[in-house]
Amino acid sequence: MPNIMNSIALNHFIILASILFCIGMLGVLIRKNVVVMLMSIELMLNAVNLIFVAFSRYYGDASGQVIVFFVMAIAAAEAAIGLAIIMAVFRKFRGVEIKLFENLKG
Amino acid sequence: MLELFPLTFYAISAAMILSALGVILMASPIFSALCLAATMTLLAAMFFMLEAYFVAAIQLTVYAGAVVVLFVIVLMIFDLKKEKQSFSGNWAINIAKIGISVASFLILAVPLGYVLARANPGWLQDRAPVSKDLALSLFGKYLFTFEIVGALLLVVLIGSVTLAKSKGGTHAEHHE
Repeated sequence: MPNIMNSIALNHFIILASILFCIGMLGVLIRKNVVVMLMSIELMLNAVNLIFVAFSRYYGDASGQVIVFFVMAIAAAEAAIGLAIIMAVFRKFRGVEIKLFENLKG
Repeated sequence: MLELFPLTFYAISAAMILSALGVILMASPIFSALCLAATMTLLAAMFFMLEAYFVAAIQLTVYAGAVVVLFVIVLMIFDLKKEKQSFSGNWAINIAKIGISVASFLILAVPLGYVLARANPGWLQDRAPVSKDLALSLFGKYLFTFEIVGALLLVVLIGSVTLAKSKGGTHAEHHE
């Protein structure tokens, strides 16, 4: 049976996950729409998950995959709460631009 | 058979980077959500390649299923008009932001990739963790964390229902 460890080095996964993380970070920085910013945050969390699973495979330890479960639970929680906050803001200001969140202070 | 893994890896990587760029560059948020679903599915394929079958299945059900559907439903509720301008700031600021991203990629990838490429990989073990190892670890060593996450999900359930039902809170009454 062919082995992934013999054909692909671990740093390939690290570089791929870094690219995904930076794309997600760029999305948070440049977009105006808050929903797309939340999607970019999900992208960043997924990049971290990829690194955890890759290290778990190459290290032969299940702990990395357990952490991935926790990250997934936190990500789902963050998406639910974030979208609920966005819905509350949308109901008040009729829009989802990040500028509208400036009015939330105090 | 020997060339299968690199070929699959590079094909999936290229598709994943393209769909991730689609998430942040698509003008319409609904196409961003579709690109996000594509990225999640390709990531699940990557997890299959890494022999993390259970994580791949969870990735497909939780992310490509639940989370993306949540985003799509919220976008459906908003019924957004076409955005005149998707990106914030002017072009100089956006170029600076792209520069920040590239710099952070170098900061992230170069030390880790360089060190791991040069290091003698003596700690690498040719034994993929199976679902049994995962279960023993999840319900043994990490049991307390697991319970905390369960409590967190309950709090999130109550909190998101409260937030979504609220009619703007105290500020709305104040302004009206």
